[in-house]
Amino acid sequence: MIAELGHYALVLALGLALVQASVPIWGARTRDPALMAVGTSTALAQFAFVAFSFAALTWCHVVSDFSLLTVFENSHSAKPLIYKITGVWGNHEGSMLLWVLILALFGALVAAFGRNLPAALKATVLAVQAWIAAAFHLFILVTSNPFVRIPNPPFEGRDLNPILQDPGLAIHPPLLYLGYVGFSITFSFAIAALIEGRIDAAWARWVRPWALVAWMFLTLGIAMGSFWAYYTLGWGGWWFWDPVENASLMPWLAGTALLHSAVVMEKRDALKVWTVLLAILAFSLSLVGTFLVRSGVLVSVHTFANDPSRGVFILAILILFIGGSFALYAWRAPALRQGGLFAPVSREGALLLNNLFLTTICATVFVGTLYPLALEALTGDKISVGAPFFNATVGRLAVPLLIAIPFGPLLAWKRGDLYGVAQRLLAALAVAIVAMAAAFAVAGGGPVLAPFVVGLAFFVMAGALTDVAERTGLFRVPFAAVVSRAAGLPRSSWGTAIAHFGVGVSLLGIVGETQWGAERIAAVKPGETVSVRHYDLTLDGLSQRRGPNYQERVAHFTVRRNGDVIGAMEPATRAFPVRQMNKNEAALMTRGTSQLYVSLGDADENGAVTVRLYHKPLVLLIWIGAVVMMAGGALSLSDRRLRVGAPRPARQKPALQPAE
Amino acid sequence: MKRRQRRLLLIGAGGAVLCVAVALVLFALKDSIVFFNSPTDVIDKHVASGTRIRLGGLVKPGSLTRGANFAVRFAVTDGNKEIPVAYSGALPDLFREGQGVIAEGAIDGAGIFEADTILAKHDEKYMPREVADALKKQGHWMGENK
Amino acid sequence: MALWFPLALMTAAAVFIVLWPLGRARLAPASRGDVAVYRDQMRELERDRTAGLIGAGEADAARVEISRRLLAAADAEGEASPASVAPWRRRFIAVAALLALPLGVITFYLALGFPGLPDQPLAARTNGPENRSIAALVAQVEDRLERNPQDGRGWEVIGPVYMRLGRFDDAVRARRNALRLLGASAAREGDLGEALVAAANGVVTAEAKSAFDHALALDAHDARAKFFTGVAAQQDGKNADAAAIWRDLLAQAPADAPWANVVRQSLARLENPVPQTAAPGPSNADVAAAADMSPEARTQMVRGMVERLAQRLARDGSDLDGWVRLVRAYFVLGEHQHALDAAADARRALAGDQDKLHQFDAALTDLAAGGNVAGVEAPK
Repeated sequence: MIAELGHYALVLALGLALVQASVPIWGARTRDPALMAVGTSTALAQFAFVAFSFAALTWCHVVSDFSLLTVFENSHSAKPLIYKITGVWGNHEGSMLLWVLILALFGALVAAFGRNLPAALKATVLAVQAWIAAAFHLFILVTSNPFVRIPNPPFEGRDLNPILQDPGLAIHPPLLYLGYVGFSITFSFAIAALIEGRIDAAWARWVRPWALVAWMFLTLGIAMGSFWAYYTLGWGGWWFWDPVENASLMPWLAGTALLHSAVVMEKRDALKVWTVLLAILAFSLSLVGTFLVRSGVLVSVHTFANDPSRGVFILAILILFIGGSFALYAWRAPALRQGGLFAPVSREGALLLNNLFLTTICATVFVGTLYPLALEALTGDKISVGAPFFNATVGRLAVPLLIAIPFGPLLAWKRGDLYGVAQRLLAALAVAIVAMAAAFAVAGGGPVLAPFVVGLAFFVMAGALTDVAERTGLFRVPFAAVVSRAAGLPRSSWGTAIAHFGVGVSLLGIVGETQWGAERIAAVKPGETVSVRHYDLTLDGLSQRRGPNYQERVAHFTVRRNGDVIGAMEPATRAFPVRQMNKNEAALMTRGTSQLYVSLGDADENGAVTVRLYHKPLVLLIWIGAVVMMAGGALSLSDRRLRVGAPRPARQKPALQPAE
Repeated sequence: MKRRQRRLLLIGAGGAVLCVAVALVLFALKDSIVFFNSPTDVIDKHVASGTRIRLGGLVKPGSLTRGANFAVRFAVTDGNKEIPVAYSGALPDLFREGQGVIAEGAIDGAGIFEADTILAKHDEKYMPREVADALKKQGHWMGENK
Repeated sequence: MALWFPLALMTAAAVFIVLWPLGRARLAPASRGDVAVYRDQMRELERDRTAGLIGAGEADAARVEISRRLLAAADAEGEASPASVAPWRRRFIAVAALLALPLGVITFYLALGFPGLPDQPLAARTNGPENRSIAALVAQVEDRLERNPQDGRGWEVIGPVYMRLGRFDDAVRARRNALRLLGASAAREGDLGEALVAAANGVVTAEAKSAFDHALALDAHDARAKFFTGVAAQQDGKNADAAAIWRDLLAQAPADAPWANVVRQSLARLENPVPQTAAPGPSNADVAAAADMSPEARTQMVRGMVERLAQRLARDGSDLDGWVRLVRAYFVLGEHQHALDAAADARRALAGDQDKLHQFDAALTDLAAGGNVAGVEAPK
């Protein structure tokens, strides 16, 4: 009965979404407060029903109710509880249900916390949100229904793909979806603004927290996904320019641009039309990503869907929403009022430059990802556009963007003094040059690229510190004044500096791993030693172990550095009998922010096993940087002024401040 | 007038960045595009030796031989034609005889495909899309999804 | 039906949620969001100027800009169009929500859903109401046997229960104990043989065969043991022997023997083999169902499974155990040519892996030396 209640709740959610899609906007057009209020109640109820439906599906997974087709296909009674739960979204149907759950959650959040929004704007936003929700509810119910039943269920399920049985995967898709779907809110705000024909600084202030939330989750989701690929796929790669990864990177780039342009719009009332476009773009790219991953257009590790009817349905949703929103944009955007003036060299100008580069990079990724598909559809030729393309284009376009990062926050609004800013950045530049020289010396010559990027990373980090130092007057005013200024500094300023610092940290990790990593492949017999960099690994022996639903072959290594034992590493290969699949369990040893990575290959006829050893210097900084960026976002979000809606006006007198 | 100049400057800067980006994209595409071919394609189209391609098909059962220093040889077949492949290095975990594989590299003078990258996927569900399509065309496909 | 009550409740809740705001004709308070934001911008401008982040001239210009917007926002709020309240709209929506929402949702659900299908969580199915008495019995007997493992009667009682639950390995253990503790009888030997066959997915293993032989030694007319001896002969490929055994069995059968029909069918199938039907995917449900199957239906199922195994190995030839199982199965089913072909295929598929090849050859040698495939030449 629980399964059927969950199914019914999902159909009810579709019904409520249709009400929410029509009644509030009718209310907004006719200024009827009761009709507009329907949006709030239905948004909350829609979320409640989807949540119930999701809980019902989770319950069916937990109790191994194999009368549900998805449970039978993706679960197994012997699976550990945690993977029974993560198995809910480890497949196409369940992950789409999670997608709409998050969509409904964001709608409910606007309904619950959007009290400060003008009623008409809120009603329209909720209606637009419901259009998306209704389309996806229908998609799930018609093509990807997780509640399809088997009348005479088998007694055992077919297990979850062992590659996906991993704690990293347990949290990675929900985070990514929170990011993807989070941009649905900014999209709804943009569409609502276009429908209402009204857009101003207050709009930007309402939109920015949502963009920030979505961006934070997307950042964390991408980092988690990359970390998961790094330790689970057995060869230590952390970014493959796989279309599935690109699908999450594109909304991130557009979202980062949106975040920055929304600042300009909020503070200076400029770049309105552009910001609305970015808001539409960010969510459109999320939809494109969903389409790429969910339609089976690409087949990769992440793709579980193969049914073309799904692809056609998502494509229809895609065309409807992206086409519709751009048409609306083309029609209404020219009517939007233009705002504040600024000189090219100014904070606004710097943020615009940032936007220019971010969107260009985004477009490049878009071309590289979709060009092979387009070419194949048009000519039938199959090509692959791999990492070299993206490294050559994105890598080069990112350099000017990164150089510009420290300048942006130091430039004044409206008209900036580039020379003055450059002077203030001299210290940061000095740090960068020292770092560059040090890197060059440590690497003992070699390619110039690596020291240059190290210098760039330090420039970005030092620039972020300079920003804070300038704002608090460090070294210029007495220490007590510095402390009080630091305390008085808006949290969003701290957030900016921290997030920019995180960019530098990630960059340092990337250059360390890609330029100075060492790799070694060797066939080792028990008792033999193999070395990578300064580490010597001795194979003590091989053994077999039995896990809950797998059998594994484990190699035991003792790791020595300069003769001293510093630990043991035990890479393994696991065989999952039910799926007839094998999975590699790499062993990782952390040394500072660097890692030693060992993965096990096949045994050969002489009793030797093939092992792959990697030394990955600074590799952890890649993800630490992402977490720092996210922390910056979180701090910025906690800024009172930015919290959902505008500051409550109740405490102030309604009288206007005299315009001087 | 002043406003217009500023706007022109902005548009000019944007245009310049876009031009650079387009140039980068075109050059990079020219250098890094690799065409995918099945063994039949390679033989029928007479793909010139030295041209970098991706060769995809099934690893012919019984064709895998291992030499010293991780050198391996095997044949890639699409059920119609087959091409010998030489590779040096550790094969991916999922590499199996009779399974789908993509080898990236070029044909040498002797007609042997010298691969520098081997990509393998486990069962048909995760078979590289190109391989699945090529095999379907050769009527050699027995995957679950029609 | 219990399902309809919560469904009705949920529907009612959904309808109420649409109706509720319609009933409360309150006016939205005028928002001061814009004004507050602009005022905040003013304050921030002041802060930026003290921090030196904006020049004095620019700050003045910006202040003028903001003031202009502030005034405009305040004006707009003043002249915001008054809220309109049209009762007909609310009534229309209320009626639609009362009728269209439940009707549409229920129709759509009935088209998609499976309202008649109860939940079937695994625990309840192996431990559900109809099985509860059995489960309790099993637990009770197991408990007693744990304390007193020498209780032969207990083992004998629990044996058939294990068979019914599909716990064939436990059934084998129970019947072995019963046999050991209570002494040999044709029925006990036959029971053990049957459990062994079930545990081996319908294959009459050497051990099962010897159990049936013992049974026949104790009672030459034990129909079950005789039948399985026939199955064993058939699985060994000695079709003529099998036919002879079964014909003999039928000749002795009482006119009303319930099993006579089964034997007749087996015999008929032996004489006119039916083409294999491709069974759908194997599952443990099939295996569990095999517990209740007649022996020849079980053999049929084994054949289906062998067929599927062969197909799978044709796609993925790297599974050593699979190959061994396949070759063994063909031998057991008496299809020697198939077995040899499969062995050749296996060697081809495993050729790249010396280790596995050796293991495979070793397994084949074992197989050929094993009792139940006597007479087959050991492959090189």
